[in-house]
Amino acid sequence: MSLSLRSAFLALLAAPLLALAAPPEAATEHVQARLVSSQAAVAPGQRFTVALEQNIKAHWHTYWLNPGDSGQATSIDWAGAEAGPIQWPTPSIQAIGPIVNYGYEGRPALLVELTVPADARPGSRFQPTAEVRWLVCKDVCIPEQVSLGLDLPVAAQAQSGADAAQIEEWRRAIPQPAPFAVQLKAAPQGMRLSGPTAGVTKAYFFADTWGAVAHSAPQPLRAEGGGWALDLPAGDEPLAAGKPLSGVIALTTAAGEQAWTVSAAMPEGAGKGPGPADLAAPAADAATPAPASDIGLLPALALALLGGLILNLMPCVFPVLSIKALALVREGNHKAEGLAYTAGVLASFLVLAAVLIALRAGGQQVGWGFQFHSPVFVLVVAYLLFLVGLNLSGLFEIGGSFTGIGSGLAARQGLAGSFFTGVLAAVVATPCTAPFMGAALAFALSQPAVVLLAVFLALGLGLALPFLVLAFWPAAQRWLPRPGAWMDRFKQFLAFPMYAAVVWLLWVLAQQAGPDGVALALAGLVLMAFGLWWRHASGASAVGTVAALAGVVLALGMSAWIKPADAAPGTSASAHEAYSAERVAELRGQNKPVFVNLTAAWCISCLVNERVALSRPEVGEAFAKAGVVYLKGDWTREDPKITAVLKAHGRSGVPLYLYYAPGAAEARVLPQILTPGLLVEAVSSAPRSSP
Amino acid sequence: MTLLRRCLLVALILPGLAQATANVDAPAPAFTAATADGKTVSLADYKGKTVVLEWTNHDCPYVRKHYGSGNMQSQQKAATAQGVVWLQVISSAPGQQGYVDGAGALKLNADRGAAPTATLLDPKGELGKLYGAQTTPHMYVIKADGMLVYKGGIDSIATTRVEDIAKAEPYVTEALAAVAADRKVEKAVTRPYGCSVKYAS
Repeated sequence: MSLSLRSAFLALLAAPLLALAAPPEAATEHVQARLVSSQAAVAPGQRFTVALEQNIKAHWHTYWLNPGDSGQATSIDWAGAEAGPIQWPTPSIQAIGPIVNYGYEGRPALLVELTVPADARPGSRFQPTAEVRWLVCKDVCIPEQVSLGLDLPVAAQAQSGADAAQIEEWRRAIPQPAPFAVQLKAAPQGMRLSGPTAGVTKAYFFADTWGAVAHSAPQPLRAEGGGWALDLPAGDEPLAAGKPLSGVIALTTAAGEQAWTVSAAMPEGAGKGPGPADLAAPAADAATPAPASDIGLLPALALALLGGLILNLMPCVFPVLSIKALALVREGNHKAEGLAYTAGVLASFLVLAAVLIALRAGGQQVGWGFQFHSPVFVLVVAYLLFLVGLNLSGLFEIGGSFTGIGSGLAARQGLAGSFFTGVLAAVVATPCTAPFMGAALAFALSQPAVVLLAVFLALGLGLALPFLVLAFWPAAQRWLPRPGAWMDRFKQFLAFPMYAAVVWLLWVLAQQAGPDGVALALAGLVLMAFGLWWRHASGASAVGTVAALAGVVLALGMSAWIKPADAAPGTSASAHEAYSAERVAELRGQNKPVFVNLTAAWCISCLVNERVALSRPEVGEAFAKAGVVYLKGDWTREDPKITAVLKAHGRSGVPLYLYYAPGAAEARVLPQILTPGLLVEAVSSAPRSSP
Repeated sequence: MTLLRRCLLVALILPGLAQATANVDAPAPAFTAATADGKTVSLADYKGKTVVLEWTNHDCPYVRKHYGSGNMQSQQKAATAQGVVWLQVISSAPGQQGYVDGAGALKLNADRGAAPTATLLDPKGELGKLYGAQTTPHMYVIKADGMLVYKGGIDSIATTRVEDIAKAEPYVTEALAAVAADRKVEKAVTRPYGCSVKYAS
């Protein structure tokens, strides 16, 4: 800057004509602006680049081509030269409350190609001027304007200037046309833009015009066919079929952020209104996608390794590990055991990763912890931890005959025992994984299979690492305390974290399977304890062992009766049927009036409406008098069919109240705040049905 | 875990509820708000009349463009003379640009010769967020039957220059003419332009 300032000054002093030229730089209250030329001297007819650099006061911003929800793009009106369009650097997002803008902070440089008139005479001067207007905003907005100009000698031979390198540097911030193709298709919330770049951890699409994309809406990222896909919620003027969407896509991969200009057309036949095809098709798509995580591959691997290490300290894992570590204290060095243990951990994580990949390939939206959505799985893990706890408490010692479950195998001598300790550690670690590994797992789940496997292996390796170190590095074993009588007491103490983990799992089960499920689970625990006590009391006789096994088998068998609790929130006493599109069509076919209430347990205004309006006796009377059939749809859990109905009526959420008068072509959409009077009026103003 | 999922679901859906409730060709969201002269009005009070909502912030350069030139006042007078209800809405939060109390709002309108039917005070931004108002000005037209028929800019040229008003397509005037003639509003959704609404952040 100081260099070009000095050269500008020198030029000012040297050139006699300069009194007429506009200055190359000017400052307003919030922005210092200057024109920078790539050329020291220009040739007639030459096309060259100039930059408008804005040095914006801290915390203020100017705007991109599409300023977003508010604001205004910087404009330059040129005189004295033919000028191309402004080449904009990749903008950043400026969010103020619910309003999202696209623009620049700091020192953006906008590039423009100027063409020197072909008839310019060498020896004369090229003096284009620019009226530059911008809106600069912080919490308030100020429109500002400056007049800038360049003054360059025209020579037969063009001469590059001192700022040419700076301009090339600025040019690198200008997104170039993407070297890959992108696809656009209709999606439940608007559009889905997809491309082939692999390993994308963060992506954002800046639409270059207003209307097609809602600026303020999040753009969920997902992996799709080895590349990325970005859901773009439609804006106020959704893209019509056949119309192109263009803008800048900013993609973050392990290599950093890269932005490209892209353009893709909405396929014909993907009309903007939600037609019947729209309503039926996107069942799988409508599931809420996992939020994209914004970390790279290497950080994800490092996090996974660290997360695995931390898992060793989790209440569910630590006791399992301790069994093995205590064995080491007793028996000394076992490299092979360390390896077998590691193999067990890694094999378990590989299986988990493979299941995830298979589910994903099957089109399911899976998140981490998917296995815990099954109450049976939760129950079996609870039983397993309970058994481990009883073992630690000393209710039973594991002999050769007692095999078949993880903890039994884990205590077996030799390599198989070590392998299964690893498996057990991995299995009991899974519930603890989610909170610590959220970022890395969310990243992995949005990635191609290879990356997902790598992250899971890193996680497993982290989990296995301490034991591996102990096994391979005898010096580390010296840090372990000497064996002694304390070991038994310590072991007994470790039973309690296991019992605590069982309590937690039963709490989870209570959410899933209700009080009946919890009662079944507790009865199973009693049965197992009883069987094992019998075995213990009978001195591990054959009969006792059979009783113990029978207890475990019976307990496991009872898990078959566990069934998920009903989702019904039970919020209204009014007589209603469950909503379905078919039932609506059927009733309308019979010319019956239909009232549809789409609600959810967590929707406060829905519940208020039910309390103050829908369940009032006068409303019930009016409904009965008019023969209205009341259908209720529950959106407490995501239901793509209801989502489609909401969308068809321009809503993104509940409540939605629809009234189909007999014979009416369309539903009347009632307000989101209901009153008894309004409901009575709605159903009474319609002609009476004639059954 | 299901609890966590449910919380997440709510967190994802609630912002969606707040948005996109004011859609053209759908019933305009009902509201009740305090006016600058100390009354309370509801959208339902104006059933049977065309209603214009004008989000405003007197210090915003884009608002000043239309009040400084007299454009907004003349649109207000022309509309109210036709029986249209014209409601200014001030959603600036206290301490933010454009925030005024009732007396301040009345004085501003007296000084500028503005003639809205009423000025709604929305310092909490509830009405603004209900309609998804993003800019000042941001304009909405509601038909006599309560349907929203226009939302967007006051006109087609997004600048702060007064000289652009004459060249611009006056979207709101056109929408009101279409409603009066019982025609469909041709440009029912346009880009709103102006300063951002100064909601509490």
